[in-house]
Order: sequence, then C-alpha cells, then structure tokens
Amino acid sequence: MNNFSLSRGGRAFCFLFFMGAMLSFSPVQANNSSRQSLVNTQQHQVQGTVTDGSNPLAGVSISIQGKSNVVTATDYSGRYTLSVAPQDVLVFAYVGYRTQTVYVQGRTTINISLQENTTQLQEVKINAGYYSVKNSERTGSISKITAKDIEKQPVTNVLATMQGRMAGVNITQNSGVPGSGFEIQIRGQNSLRADGNQPLYIIDGVPYASDAIGSFYTSSTTPRQTSPINSINPGDIESLEVLKDADATAIYGSRGANGVVLITTKRGKEGTTRFSATVSSGFGQVTRFMDLMHTPEYLQMRREAYANDGITDYPADAYDVNGRWDPNRETDWQKALIGGTSSYTTVQSSLSGGSAQTQFLLSGNYSKETTVFPGDFEYVKGNMHVNLNHASENKKFRINFTGGYTAQDNFLPPTDFTREALTIAPNAPALYDANGNVNWEDNTFNNPLGSLAGKFRSLTDDLIANSVLSYEWVEGLVLKSSFGYSDLRHDETNTQPSTMYNPAYGLGSEASLIFENKTNRQSWIVEPQISWNRKMGSGKMETLVGSTFQEQTSDQLVTMGSGFSSNSQMDNPGSAAHYAIQSSNQTVYKYQAFFGRVNFNWLERYIVNVTGRRDGSSRFGPGKQFATFGALGAAWLFGNEAFMKNHVGFLSFGKLRGSYGTTGNDQIGDYQYLDTYTSSGNNYQGISGLSPSRLFNPNFGWETNTKLELALETGFLEDRIFTTLGWYRNRSSSQLVGIPLPGTTGFTSLQANLDATVQNTGIEISIRTVNISNSNFSWISNLNFTQARNELLSFPNLDGSPYRNQYVIGQPLNITKVYHYTGLNPQTGVYQFEDVNGDGAITAANDRKTIKNLNPQFYGGLQNQLHYGPVQLDFLFQFVKQENFNPTFMFGMPGTMTNQPAAVTEHWQQAGDNEPYQVYSSGVKSNIQRANTRHAQSDAGISDASYIRLKNISLSYDVPERWTGKMKLRFSLQGQNMLTFTKYKGADPEFKTAGFLPPLRIYTSSVQITF
Amino acid sequence: MKNNNKVSGDARYCSALILRIMGFVWGAVGFCLMTGCESFIEVGLPASQLTATAVFEDKATANAAMVDIYSKIRDNGLLTGSLSGLSSQLGLYADELTLYGGEVNFYNNALLPSGSEVGELWNSSYNSIYAANAVIAGVEKSTSLATADRDQLKGEALFVRALLHFYLMNCFGAIPYVRTTDYEQNRVVHRMPENEVLALIKGDLEQAIAVLPEEYVSAERVRPNKWTAEALLARVNLYAEAWDEASNAASAVLNQTGLYVLEADLDKVFLKESTTTIWQLMPSIPGDNTKEAETFSFVSGPPPLSALSNTLMEAFSPDDQRKEHWTTAVTDGTDIWYHASKYKAVANTGSSVEYSIVFRLAEQYLIRAEARAHQGDLIGAKEDLNIIRHTAGLADTDATTAAAIIDAVIAERRLELFTEFGHRFFDLKRTGRLDAVLSPLKAGWNSTDRNFPIPESELLLNPNLEPQNDGY
Repeated sequence: MNNFSLSRGGRAFCFLFFMGAMLSFSPVQANNSSRQSLVNTQQHQVQGTVTDGSNPLAGVSISIQGKSNVVTATDYSGRYTLSVAPQDVLVFAYVGYRTQTVYVQGRTTINISLQENTTQLQEVKINAGYYSVKNSERTGSISKITAKDIEKQPVTNVLATMQGRMAGVNITQNSGVPGSGFEIQIRGQNSLRADGNQPLYIIDGVPYASDAIGSFYTSSTTPRQTSPINSINPGDIESLEVLKDADATAIYGSRGANGVVLITTKRGKEGTTRFSATVSSGFGQVTRFMDLMHTPEYLQMRREAYANDGITDYPADAYDVNGRWDPNRETDWQKALIGGTSSYTTVQSSLSGGSAQTQFLLSGNYSKETTVFPGDFEYVKGNMHVNLNHASENKKFRINFTGGYTAQDNFLPPTDFTREALTIAPNAPALYDANGNVNWEDNTFNNPLGSLAGKFRSLTDDLIANSVLSYEWVEGLVLKSSFGYSDLRHDETNTQPSTMYNPAYGLGSEASLIFENKTNRQSWIVEPQISWNRKMGSGKMETLVGSTFQEQTSDQLVTMGSGFSSNSQMDNPGSAAHYAIQSSNQTVYKYQAFFGRVNFNWLERYIVNVTGRRDGSSRFGPGKQFATFGALGAAWLFGNEAFMKNHVGFLSFGKLRGSYGTTGNDQIGDYQYLDTYTSSGNNYQGISGLSPSRLFNPNFGWETNTKLELALETGFLEDRIFTTLGWYRNRSSSQLVGIPLPGTTGFTSLQANLDATVQNTGIEISIRTVNISNSNFSWISNLNFTQARNELLSFPNLDGSPYRNQYVIGQPLNITKVYHYTGLNPQTGVYQFEDVNGDGAITAANDRKTIKNLNPQFYGGLQNQLHYGPVQLDFLFQFVKQENFNPTFMFGMPGTMTNQPAAVTEHWQQAGDNEPYQVYSSGVKSNIQRANTRHAQSDAGISDASYIRLKNISLSYDVPERWTGKMKLRFSLQGQNMLTFTKYKGADPEFKTAGFLPPLRIYTSSVQITF
Repeated sequence: MKNNNKVSGDARYCSALILRIMGFVWGAVGFCLMTGCESFIEVGLPASQLTATAVFEDKATANAAMVDIYSKIRDNGLLTGSLSGLSSQLGLYADELTLYGGEVNFYNNALLPSGSEVGELWNSSYNSIYAANAVIAGVEKSTSLATADRDQLKGEALFVRALLHFYLMNCFGAIPYVRTTDYEQNRVVHRMPENEVLALIKGDLEQAIAVLPEEYVSAERVRPNKWTAEALLARVNLYAEAWDEASNAASAVLNQTGLYVLEADLDKVFLKESTTTIWQLMPSIPGDNTKEAETFSFVSGPPPLSALSNTLMEAFSPDDQRKEHWTTAVTDGTDIWYHASKYKAVANTGSSVEYSIVFRLAEQYLIRAEARAHQGDLIGAKEDLNIIRHTAGLADTDATTAAAIIDAVIAERRLELFTEFGHRFFDLKRTGRLDAVLSPLKAGWNSTDRNFPIPESELLLNPNLEPQNDGY
C-alpha cells in the first residue's frame, strides 16, 4: 500500500522536474503575426507605444473614429502602427481601461498611457479555483484583492493584506511579535473546535496545509504555534480570492466549509524584458502604553493591603515594601521592556518578459524586521519565485510552471515581555548592575531579562511547485492536468542556558537545555480534468469533470538536549551529553475526490451553475471515509433585460444571484479513530514509554455545512456606484468536536460527531463609488460592512452534556458565561456577585449565568484611493464593534506584588465607600482573592473593545517620465495602524490572547525602480 | 522557415509527451473508477503509534506502557519532586517552608477552584490512573504474555492506582475512585465518602500484594515489589486508624531484613543504593539526579524560591544529626537560611547518585510505633521510635504514656520526613491538629483549607462531583 503511494508521489515529482527541463528547450521567439498595418495611399503612418503607466499593454484595440473598418491592435511590447489622415481621431480601447480618444493632428508618433477603468470591473475574470468566470456572470460569492492593494501595505503576512478589505472576512493579529501570525474567520465560526475553523488555502492550485508547524516545547514567544502561512510572500501575489458561499466552495467538498483562500502568484507577461526593484525601510512601535500606577500609589497600595490583612511584619518575599528595594525608585517598565523601536527592511526585485508563446518571471525578495524588545532579535525572510508559461504555436498546448521557495529565520527572545512590562512593581531594581550584568538584586528580583540569555529560533524552508499542462483536443474541449508538490522543513529551537536563571539556584551548564522541534511536511497532488465549453443557440454551456489524488506525509520530532560542558556549546546539538525524544509523530493523510461543474448561460441573462464533489479522506474510520457534497447557484442579470435597458437608464448593471449547497470539514487530525499507544518520549529505566494516545471513538464522520446565499448586485451611472448586498445563512451540523470531558476520564476531550447545529447568518454590504474621475484626478471609495450572527440552533440534551455550562441554545458559540457583578459590599469592601440560584453560595456552575458575546457585532473597512496626476493617496479605516476582556481580566489582585492600572487607586477604603475596585489585600485572605478572581470572570471583566483604526495609509509619487526617461521611479510612504480610536482601557483592543504584544504602528518609506 | 519546422517539431514532441502523460493520468482515473478507489485512501499505522491490543501482546511494549506511568508520576502531578509537586507545595501550605519568591497561592493557603495548580494535580493523577487501568485491562485481555509478566504488570498497575487515589483523597477529601477506562462511566462519576475510597484502596493493595513478586524486578528498586504495596498498606491503615492492620503491614516490611537495613550513615540514606529504600523513582536522563534537589537547593540568600521555615529549624534539637546532614545553611553575612539537603546532587553527575525515594524504611518504623502506641504496646512503640532516634544521634524518647508517645512519634515524623511528599501536612490533618498548629503561624489559614478545592472545570463538566468542598 505504502509502496504504491510512494511511487506515485515520486512520479508526480518527476513530472515537475521534467516540465521545467522541457521549457528550457522550447522555442522562445517573438511572434508578430498580430501586428498589422492598413495601407491607405493618401495617409501617413503613425506609430507609438501604449502602456498602463508602467507596463506596455498588448492587444489594445486602436480604431479611427467614424471608420469602423479600420482597426488594429498593439503587439506584445505595446507597439502599434497605423495609417491615418492628419485630421483623424484615434480611439484606444482595452478591457478594464478607460477608452481614450486622441486627435492625430499630423503627428507620426503618439505614445499613450491608458488609465485603468475603475468602473468596468464587471469584465474582469475572477478565479474560482478549478475554473474562472467573468465577474458579471459569477453565481457565487467571491471577494478579491490584487497586487495593487497588497503593495501598498508594509506587511509580511498574507492574511494581513486582507484585513479590513473584505466583507465577511474577519482577521485578527495574534501579536506584534514578528512571525506570530493572524487568525482568520470567513463568515464566522462554524465548528465548535477552536482549531476546526481554518479555511482551505490553495496556492496556484496546490492545497497548502495551514496546520501549525510549531510545538509547545519550543514556541514560547507567540500566543499560537508557528504557522506555515508565514512562508507566503505577499509580494509574489497577483491576486487573492476568498470563496465564501456554497456555489463557490462546494467544488472543494469536504474542505470548503470554512471558505477557500485562493492565492494566484504573479506570472510572466508578454513584452520587453523588464526589471523592477523596490526597496523599503521603516520602523515600528507599540501603538500605546497603558496608564499604570507610579511608585507612590503602588507602595501605598501595598502597605494598605498588609494593613488591611492585619500584617505588620512584612513577609520575607515582600521585597518592594520590606526594605530590600528602594521605595523611591521608579521605572517605566513598558518603556524598558516593550518600548523599543523595531526596524523593517524589504528588498523586492523581479525580472519578467517574453514572447507571445513563452513568458517568464523571476523574482526575489528579502525582508528583515526586528522587535521592540530589548536585545538584538530579527526575523529574516528570503524568497524566490519563478514562473514560466509556454503555448504551442497553434495555442493548443499550454504549459505553465510556477515554483516558489521561501527561507525564513526567525530569531526571537524566548518570551514576550508584555506581561512583565505591565505587572512588575514600579520600584523594582535596575535591569543591569553597574558592571552591565543582569541584576538579580541579591536574589530578590526575578529579572525578566534573564531570559535574554535564552533564545527562540525558527528556520523554515518551504518549496511549492506546480505545473499545469493543457491540450485543446477539439475546439472547446480541453484536457488538463495539474501537478503540485510542496515540501516544508521547519526547525525550531528553544535554547535555555543555565545563565537564564538566578545564579542562586547554583545551576551550571550541565542544567542547560535545548529543545528542538523538527517538522517536515511533504505533499503531492495530481488533478486531471476535462472541460468542455460550447455554444448552444443563444446559450453557452461550460462543463468540467476532474479528480484529485493527494497525499501528505508529515513528521515531527521534538528532542531535548541537556548536559552541556559549556553554554557556548549549546548551538551544537552534538555537544549535549544527553538527548531525549520529547515527542515523535508521523502521519500520512490521503485524499481523493471526483468533482464536476456544469454551467449554463442563456442569453447572458440567466445563469445556472451546478457543482459537486465526492470526497474520500483517510482521516475517517472504515465505512465513514466517503461523502458527497454539491451546490446549485443561479444568477439573473436583470440589468441586461430589454425593459430595464430601455426604461431604467441610470441602472447600468443589475444581477440577482443565489446559491444553496453543502460542504464539509475534515480538519480533525489524523488517526483519531484508532485506539493506539504513542511513544511518549518519557524515559524510565532506559525504556522509552508508551502512553495511550487518546480516548478513541471509531464512529465519527464528516461535519457538513449547508450554505444558503442571496445577493443583489447593482451598478448605477455606468457603474460609478456599484453595490453588492448579500445575505447568507450557513448551518453546520454533525459537528466534529473534541467533547470536553472531566479529568476523571483520564483525558480532557473525546473526538466525536455531536448532534448540534450551528448557524451563521450575516449581511455583507460592499459599496464602491467613483466620486471623481477625470484625466487628472480620481477619487474612489470602497466600503465593506459585515454584520454577522452566530447561533447555536440545536443541541439535543445540552443540559446533560459537558457543554451545559459553556453553550446556550439561541446564543453564539463564542460566548462566555460570567458572574453578574453587583457592586462592592459597602461594609467589607469586597466584590459581590448575584447569587442566581439563591443558594447562599457563589459557585461557577450555578451563578455564572450572565452571557457575554465576544463575537464582533459588525466590522468592516472604508478604503479611499485618490489619484492626482503622479500622486496617489490610499487610506483604509478598519472598524470593529465588539466586546472583549478588559484589563481587570489581566492583572493580579490589587494589593499583591504586581503593578496595576492607575484607575485601581479608586478603591474601597472604609465602610460606605462606593468605588469601582475592592479593598486591597496582600493575598492571604482567600475570600478576597476569590472575589477578585470572580470579578475578572464577571461582566465587570468585559467591556466595549470597539475601535476605528486608520489601518493603512499609503502615499506614492511617480516621478514624471520626462525626468527619468525609460526608467520609472516611484517614491512611497506607508503606515500601518496609524491611529486608533477606542474607548477600550487596555493596551490595544485587537487581541485574541491577553498578555502579548499588541499590533505595532509601522511607518515605512520605499522606492520602486522599473526599467 | 526552418524555425517554423523546429517549432512544429517541438510542438509535435510536446503533444506526444502531453498525450502520454494525460493517457497515464486518465488511465489511472479510469482504473480507479472501476475499482472503487477505496484502497487509495487507506493508510497504515505510523511508526510512532501501536494499537492498544498489540501493546499487550509483547512483553517489551507492555512494560513500556507501565514504565511510562512512572515517568509521568516522576515528572508531573502529586508526586513529582519539582515545584508543582506535593513535597514543595504542601511544605509551603503547612509549616515546613517559607516562601521568598514564586507562586504564592499554596503558601497563602488561598487555593482557587479555578487555579491551574489544583487542576493540574487532579488531571495528571487521573490521567495516570487511566493509564494504570489500561494496563490492567490490557494484560487481562492479553493472550501471549507469560503469567509471571502479567502478574507483575497487573500488580504494579493496581499499586499505582491505589497510591494515586490515596494521595488524591488526602488532598481533596471525598473523590471518585476510577477503575475502568470507559469514559461513558468515568465522565459521570460521583465522589465517594473517604471510608469507601479507603476500602477500595485496601482492596487494590491486597490484590497487588497477592500477585507482586517479593524480589525487585530491577536492581535499583525502581519498580514496586510486594513489600512496597505492604508499605503503602501500612500507611493507609495508619491513616484509617486501623492500628492492628497498620502494625501488621509495617511488620511485614520490617521483617524483610535481608532486603531492608537501616543506614547508620545519614549521608547514605538518600543515595540510590540505600538499603532503607523500599521504592524510588529513577530520573529520566542518565546521570541526572532528583528534581527535589533542584527544587529545594540554593547557593546564596535570600532564597530565590523557598527555605525551610524557622519553626521547623527550631524544632531540631541541637544534637540532631539530621539537621547537620539533611539541611544546609546559606548566609549572606547577616541573615541565615536553610534548605533541605536530603538530596544533594543538583546537577548531572555523569552517573546518577540519587533517585527520588517514595517509600523508605524509617516511615515503617514510625508507622508501627504509632500503631503500637494506640494498641497499647508502649514498649514496642518506644522501641520502634528509638530506633529512628538513634540513627539521628538522639537519645531514647522520654515519653511514657500512650498519648505522649504518639505526640513524640508525630514530632519525630516531622523531623524525619520533612519535605517528603507532604507527610507533615497529612500528619496534622489525620490527627486533627491542623488548626491548632497552623492558625497562629499563617495569616491565611482557615480550617476549611484542610481540603483542596475540587477543580472548578470538573464541577462544570460533571455535576455529579458537586458539592464543592467547604470554604470554596
């Protein structure tokens, strides 16, 4: 069995190499057959070049006004020649660009640059994965951004480029540490499993596994384990489409439930060879600091706390007040630990060109960013991208090869200092002593910079290659096959030398540890397809059938090395006296499917699109491996109806579309249906232990997601106002979940299908307006708005299940049940809570009944693009209406040895006080401690975290060609997270996990040269 | 036009090639369609996993499943020598240790039901209990394990199950006793009164004693034998105030004079070759020593984490050799602090010198002394007590009455067994002395602190575990 699949994987890989080799001896020759000239003896010749401002445009049609028979087109390098009369008027027309008319006035050379037609986006082809579709004829819900949007943003993560720009796509940054990644949710949370909501990523047709490649042994600086998505270089992306509804996603079957992110990388273009390079650099800082207590208020709080607890003799460990530390000292720990400036450098270059038959693109990218933490840390990313396209002379054979290779080196401190920056006592001692060594202040100060002796380093190499061969057998019938291969190698080390720790522990290098995580993931995919398009009277039909074979093998080995003869030897694993395996995992995932599509378009007004897929996955147990998914989409282009054209003149486009169908979700990990023992990495008597892998359940199968969508797309005034109003309803059932179990079962969860139904409904609105558009000045606005609601529709026997205290029918999944805070007890000054069941005791099970919804109520973005001659200004405001945990949730109890927000000074001191914070206590009164914990778990711990943020601003200037000649020069200034308007009291309202570095404010400037 | 010929030649070559590739792919698809293709998505087991049934058909893998439990016990949960284990946490919770840095909740007697420290003790214990139950079920179903191996493994698993439940009960009070791997049963378990838990512990231990061999299966006493189970049974009976049974079980161990001999040299008691050791846990890495040594030792003051409390240090009489040999003074010139130094090797020593000792002979003497005093055998009681006093360089006890002897035994246990798995706290608890001893010393002490809180997540997931312990 294994041999069979291996040989196939090998074969697919051979094809790829072969393809590349074959291209190298394909003829690369210019084909000027499209260049024509019309001869008129009474006229003179005019010639010139048509560009889009920077690139030559091929295939621009040029006609003479009033002479419908005289027409030509530009060649691959944008050149044209035409015979004209001196008084003629030339008309330059090209899809997606504004038509321009030019008076010849006897000239013999007319060079012209066409402006992109901002209102003709309906003609643009949208990539839907296995097929592409004209935007106006699309039956599904697909959002798109292009390289033009991406290049304005100083970001290195592909998910960041979409933030605030797409309706229905909610993206949150995990932390401001380089490489820490983003969370994405497309149309809400479908699965009860936190890790079961990832979309399917497809890069040039190759599925890209997004499962984390880190390990909790090594990934300690970021809230989430390292994500492979970091490998994708935004600069290589030509367009990025997000498929949302059933019509668009059902063809991805079992993997389409959470939406599909299609990434199309840049391709070589026909034309003269062009070189382009962009260099940018900039810096970043924390967006804002929290207002914390200063030393006097802090010490006052501590002393009062001990007095309240009846303690006059300060305990041995109370160094801040017992005389060991200087009571007059003050350090702004936020400034000291997270107040640095990070730097950004990016160099991107590309070379492209080619003939009508063969085109190529080579590009390289280097980026480097540092951190705001003390110490020299950096994240370096290098990347190479190659694309080759070739078509035979008769255009029947086409070959396309794309390869990308990314190497990353992320070097970080082993911890994020944000929590320390907020909580260390303001009178704590200096970080370094007089000799410049880490100061442990005679063992009294647990110096956070001790950890700077350690380091986190992750090296990732990622190769993605794919090639597509197609052959048009007879007209309209195309045989096609794509081959993809991806290879990811990740090596992450976490070095913990003995010098990280207080020397009082007496640890030497023999106690130093190094954890290493090596993750490898290889996959291959073959997707043969046949498509057949034909006209049938006034209609046209497109059909597609295909199949997928995919295999992915992964292995992860986590080891621990210890016993070094010296800490300087730690980088060499061979110098560890002992090597222990912490965990070792090998998995094989196989996937196979058949899919098809039939699209019928009648009179360019009525369109029906049927898609389906039958999937099999090795992740499920015998008898549960196969399932079928499908969808029906339909669109009515009522704007093309004669009565609309004739009677509703202001309406330039009108489409009503809808879709209904099913998709699935198989993100449950491998081998979950087996009862197995796993090598645990624990060593005893020299024997490596075997431990039970999980509680097993052989009877689980697919999670299905039924999606319904209705949308209205309208264009007014020649599409200068274009609106899309969409409504969707997704229901997912037979949820695959790790059902939480009490610890008495030996484990904390069990994998099973749950008979619960989750519904996501929402309204998505996109409005695009061309406010001003003339040859000198244009102003375009894009607004997207999403209001989404997530609801648990049904859950049989919820009360008898372990979820009884987590979910409520009719409420979203992302709720938290909290105590209801009723104010201070005026006598004792301790927080009080509502005793919901009136039993006289406050218990989590009975009194945490107040429901707080942590999903955003609505979110969106407003983007403006202004163009004035050579100057272009873009800015994006992102807005989110939501509630989230407030600082109350993150700090320790007021009175203990941790600093507090300045507002905590408003506290109870004597009977009758009515203040927001309770009596100070040093931590020995367990009732006060419990009240404080409950307060954090009450409705007082959650508050409005809505914000409006100037997410991105970009100003660029194209130096006029008359100064630069053939060379194009562009200067730009860019900023990210520039301004934030919020009532939120914490450090930043955008976070998923508290206590990590918030997103940074980043400024960069760049120069782009093209010739 | 030569070029064009070349182009068309290339095109022909290309087309032939593409057609062949496509032919292959479509042929494969066609074949697949005909054969159903189910075989494509079948995967074998990865090398890193083994089915549960296969594990117990082979002695080596069955053994690996058992020793994994010891690794877990050593590294996590109640019995680990690291900071999170009972040796340190109950030392802080009672009056053995003073805190200078680190986590404060145990020291402040302010445990939170939602706190991770309590949840971790609970969950890791039941995880090991699951593994023990899986071993018991696995060897019972096994068709190819030899009887002797089957008995050995089953006996060890029963012993571990009893041991962990015993500690859980002493920390949390009434607890569920889990004897199956079936999650349908285990997710709805109820808490049992302590006497029922005790009966089940005794039942498991009696079964273990019946099947465990008398000799150690390993040279270094790192696997429990019959006498280890007897030693635990003696302690269980002492806590249950079943004096006769406690005394008998302790005698059963103490009579094994061929195996167990008191060490005259206090510096040898905690070495891995110690003849007083009944059962010890081996470190993971060759040359490593105990986590206890790492947890308690420090080389300069003030201590970074904790030090032995003044009240404990003052309880040693000046000529007590245990103060000399089992504690170490550290001074910064003005102040002086002491740390436990029963285990001395902090770092890797190339070849290990100390293992973490869970059961040792001295406790069995003290168990029998206390039981005998309760039985009225005052002479025997004093005899046992004095044996321990003599090894510490002390004279005979001057206690004469039963009550005085019992008090003397409790006092002796404090000095003999300090920082070993919470003996001090459990002694105060079982003899009803917690409030009297701890209230004057600890500002945060409440009498309801005698039991830890049941982890809040457990109550949320299984309401059968209600009610929460008093005071939380």
